[in-house]
Amino acid sequence: MKAEYVNSFYQATNDVLALMLDITTERGMPRLLEDMVSSKDASVILGIIGDVKGTVLFSFPKDMTLEMVKIMSGMEMDEIDSFVSSAIGEVANIIGGNAITMLSANNYHCDIATPQVIVGEYKSLSLGNEKALLLPLKTPIGEFSIALFLKEK
Amino acid sequence: MMWKEKYKIGVPLIDNQHEELFKRVSEFIQTVRGEGNWQAKLDKVKENMAFMQEYVVVHFNAEEAYQKKINYPDLENHQKIHAKFKADVNRYVQRLEQEGYSEELVQEFGGKLMAWLIMHVAAMDQKIGEYVEGQGGEK
Repeated sequence: MKAEYVNSFYQATNDVLALMLDITTERGMPRLLEDMVSSKDASVILGIIGDVKGTVLFSFPKDMTLEMVKIMSGMEMDEIDSFVSSAIGEVANIIGGNAITMLSANNYHCDIATPQVIVGEYKSLSLGNEKALLLPLKTPIGEFSIALFLKEK
Repeated sequence: MMWKEKYKIGVPLIDNQHEELFKRVSEFIQTVRGEGNWQAKLDKVKENMAFMQEYVVVHFNAEEAYQKKINYPDLENHQKIHAKFKADVNRYVQRLEQEGYSEELVQEFGGKLMAWLIMHVAAMDQKIGEYVEGQGGEK
């Protein structure tokens, strides 16, 4: 997995969360995932197609998910309903869009598919022999992660 | 949804419209999220939605006309983004009409709309302000 992919997604996440939520994002140490990634509360899956392809999985804990939507809406949220899941799906979609713009500056041209949001437990297998990379992220409203299952065409 | 001073781009026409757009989308979301039986508040939901939808078009048209007036270099791309958003909204409206205004689908629409609007105003449109500034400010 190339550093550009990870950096683009980190940078895009940092920018978008700062603009939309006024929060800072600190990156943790990326690590290789053996063969499976699992998420407990809310996941957003972005399909990437083009020069780089695969999937990117955002995993947010429940409290952070609710807090993100509270910041945006100014309203208390107490469960991950379709309003909440659609809002974080769109946030992840915007992050993906920005990451792809950055990748295209490095001459990787890609597109993203409509995000899929999964509420509740989610497990995913790594793609074939390619190992996935997990990037942990820290924010003042909670910790979350982005798993990248990407390879060059 | 809170309107923030930092969203202002320094062009009163656009700033006022953005603030109005935030207000209308907020009203829509508050109605959708508010207490009460879904069927009972459905008329209000539809009314707020139509009110907001109409304003999205008014605003996009005004913003594009303004961009044309100032020879905004990213006009074409910006128009594409507006067009894509209008198409997304229309797709939801169509689904709502066909499938009935279920609470779930309206909530989904509201969540996406809110996130999209914040990002558009907080990021995309800031570039218009930067361009105007670079050209020596609003004339």
